[in-house]
Amino acid sequence: MNFKLILGVSSIVLFTSLLMYNFGNSIDSYVNFEQATNRSSAHVVGTWDNTRDWGFSRESMRFSFHMKDEDGNVRRVIYPKPKPNNFEQATQLVVIGEMRNDVFFANDMLMKCPSKYNDADEAEFTRAEESI
Amino acid sequence: MLGTIGHIFISAAFVASIAALAAYSIAAYRHSESIVKISDWLWRIKGATLLVASGILIYLIMTHQFQYYYVWNYTSLDLEPQYLFSAFYGGQEGSFVLWILCSFVVGLGLIRWTRPPYKAPVMAVMALTQVFLLSMVAGWDIFGAMLGASPFRTIAQEMPNAPFIQANPDFVPADGSGLNDLLKSPWMMIHPPIIFVGFSMMTVPFAFAIASLWTKTYHEWIRPALPWTLSANLFLLTAIFLGGYWAYETLSFGGYWAWDPVENASLVPWLIGTAGIHAMIIQRKSSRAHKAALFLSILAYIAVVYQTFLTRSGVLGAQSVHSFVDLGLYGQLLLFILVMTIMGIGFYLYRYKEIPSPQKESSILSREFMTFTGSMLLLILGLVIIFGTSSPLIGQFFVDNPTPPEISFYNQWSMPIAIIMAIFTVVGQHLFWKKYTWETLAGAMIMPLLLTSVASVISIIAGDVSNISYMIFIFAGWFAVFGNGSILFYLLKRRPKLIGGALNHIGFGVLLLGVIASSVYTEPLLDQRATNYNKRVAAGTVFDEEGFPVTQPIEMFELKIDQPKLVNDRWMVTYEGYNVSDSPRPGQQSYRVKFEPVDGGRSFYMDPVVYPMLTTSSNSNVEWSVDPHVRTGMFEDIYFYVAGSKYVEKENERVAEQSRQMMPVSGSETAEQDSLQTIEIAKGEIIEAGDFSLQFVDFRPATEDQLPENTQVGIRALIKIEHVPSGSAYEVEPLFAVYTENERSFTYSPPLSIDAWDMDLQFTRLLPESESIEISLDGSLEDFEEDWVLVVAETKPFVSVVWLGTFLLMAGFSVSIFRHWSREKKTQDEYEDDEQFS
Repeated sequence: MNFKLILGVSSIVLFTSLLMYNFGNSIDSYVNFEQATNRSSAHVVGTWDNTRDWGFSRESMRFSFHMKDEDGNVRRVIYPKPKPNNFEQATQLVVIGEMRNDVFFANDMLMKCPSKYNDADEAEFTRAEESI
Repeated sequence: MLGTIGHIFISAAFVASIAALAAYSIAAYRHSESIVKISDWLWRIKGATLLVASGILIYLIMTHQFQYYYVWNYTSLDLEPQYLFSAFYGGQEGSFVLWILCSFVVGLGLIRWTRPPYKAPVMAVMALTQVFLLSMVAGWDIFGAMLGASPFRTIAQEMPNAPFIQANPDFVPADGSGLNDLLKSPWMMIHPPIIFVGFSMMTVPFAFAIASLWTKTYHEWIRPALPWTLSANLFLLTAIFLGGYWAYETLSFGGYWAWDPVENASLVPWLIGTAGIHAMIIQRKSSRAHKAALFLSILAYIAVVYQTFLTRSGVLGAQSVHSFVDLGLYGQLLLFILVMTIMGIGFYLYRYKEIPSPQKESSILSREFMTFTGSMLLLILGLVIIFGTSSPLIGQFFVDNPTPPEISFYNQWSMPIAIIMAIFTVVGQHLFWKKYTWETLAGAMIMPLLLTSVASVISIIAGDVSNISYMIFIFAGWFAVFGNGSILFYLLKRRPKLIGGALNHIGFGVLLLGVIASSVYTEPLLDQRATNYNKRVAAGTVFDEEGFPVTQPIEMFELKIDQPKLVNDRWMVTYEGYNVSDSPRPGQQSYRVKFEPVDGGRSFYMDPVVYPMLTTSSNSNVEWSVDPHVRTGMFEDIYFYVAGSKYVEKENERVAEQSRQMMPVSGSETAEQDSLQTIEIAKGEIIEAGDFSLQFVDFRPATEDQLPENTQVGIRALIKIEHVPSGSAYEVEPLFAVYTENERSFTYSPPLSIDAWDMDLQFTRLLPESESIEISLDGSLEDFEEDWVLVVAETKPFVSVVWLGTFLLMAGFSVSIFRHWSREKKTQDEYEDDEQFS
């Protein structure tokens, strides 16, 4: 066998398996609050529970609200940034962060907003940070 | 009516493109010059009909014919003409039309400059891509299934079941829903056209590669294809740059690059195109790497189509900030990508055995090996990014419901690849121009390595870099700059026309240095309170209400009007107020914030803007968008936006109040009357009123021209008014006058407004007997809240270096295009001379 060929094939195999491994580690499934408890970082999908207290505190510089995940678990979510402006209209929220002691600390938040003029399924996500 | 004509013209263009495809294919098959001439006319007809259709669409937009869905959905009456024009390609359908128009022009260039045997097959491939693209906007109803979405469909066709259409099929909305406010930007006018010119030009190497496989001429095709590929790369690079600058400067994405799928969509074809250029250059110079040149040319265009598929078919819907409306083109786009891949890769594999391959392996220390390695590294980087961007599809094999990969995935892969690339550029460039052995090469490297070491040590110390991989990255960047710099130096003396490559590779090194400095060493601007808080968070000594430690640092701070704050120990920052205007956007506020360097440098202002997004706001909820202010500097940029303000909060409350009550109740007016207070105050006296303290200092004379006619008494009072909790104070001089008109006496006391406190002040009576006056105050005196803004700001060092690197790359590509094009033009002219003599 040609030495260069072996070298080439083995480096391709090595590269591919490294890529697969790393890619597999860097993606995640969407989970609910219960499952998020044991993770260092979780993506949780849900809706805003507007029956409980919420708002941005200029004192602590944090925005907090309650969110109900797809399985009906309600948890308090703390987001260390100003309230995203299309927050109230969002039909669905994705919070990305960490669950600690029954409070979800979101580092990032995505909102699915009903596009005003389109059907409900033509919805779009906006990243909270970018829609301020 | 006009819409129907437009629809007919688009359909005609679609039919013409099919006819052109057939005609060019026959011409290529039969080697017939006369059929080529006919085909050229079909191509022109396709372009002309599409131009007419585009003209009609622009006319419909300009004349506000809202019965058409596209016009209604993307424009409105109040849109300025230039944005009306760019709304033409603001939507999914229009952007396809723009792409096809660009391809048409590129096709005209190919018709003019391409020689046999390539012309017919190249144009056949171009026509095939046009058939697919035109099918996206054809809007043909084929047995109930729609082929594409026409920009000329009416609202009634788009939403046949909507109640207002059911009630009145001829319903025409009075106003459109308007262009997305974020797209009302000068960048919107130039960014999309440039990107589509790039995409169209990237079709050319693909077409030449197919033509080469078709005609079995594997050597000659790269000569005409190379300038096109270089131009495609220059345009894509410019588009990527403009997109990054747009995102950074006006869209408040927080940076110039976020590994967003749509950003990746233009980067990957650029990377693979650049890989292809490397392979083509080896083939030109050394008659090697035919296979790689063909394969990469094909792959670059497949990458364009694949990324179009990803961003427009709706599969990325949940992951991108660029939201394209899903037009139900999934099937068509899938077919497009499949046909292009099967045709390109399939044809390549079919001919694989015939494609020339080198007789003997090239040694490691050869320009062929080095350039080829560079090409492969670019390809690998492109593939990694495609892989990450495809996570909604590929991720399903790993987990259910896959999320997008973390940003670190892209960084972890691109960083080491970039480091290897940087080192290879230097070795490769040296070997490209001269023969070296290991010993002589090591000798040539001494000087660049020495300079690199010095520069790296200085940057590492100056930047306080402690991360080892960043150190290597910085070293690699400087090495690319100095190593390629020595080549530039060498070429400038001998062959200055050939410096394109050296410039490009220096630009790459500069880009690496700029990227690492500006992205890793971005620092938030914070006041002392937030800085101390974050220190305690890092130490784990902050606890929330429930007693759990807080781990998230604060990255914003509040400014109260006229109260300076020390920020990052470098500036005294003062918020000086805002003003509301209706231009260019209705209801926009621009905030004025002063920065005074504590070390005594020159002070400057930041003027960030907040504006209501009219198209997405409703009666009950205003959506606000921000326009950050970026202060660009040689060494660092300051990035600054207002994330909240008293004005915005009050507006939100007002709108919410209005929508709750639905009718303007007079109750609110009586409440205002209650806030009117009259105060008697003697000269020199100080009176407390709520949170304010007033002092009547003295009388002041009033000038003649400010008084009404027939004034008997006219006088001003100097009043000092202070907001006690904050200590801010104003001096005002309200006027009081008594004048006669028709033999009756009137008093004249114009109110003075103190905007910062939302207060009106009037000098309403003069009480001469007690040397005192009466003052009326209108405004809330208790629990008065001063004006404030919530600020998010960052310093980003050396963003200017990122732009410099990009400009060097653009300059390098331009030099190379010029060089390859003039050489190609020469052969062209020789060919035409031959034609005339024969």
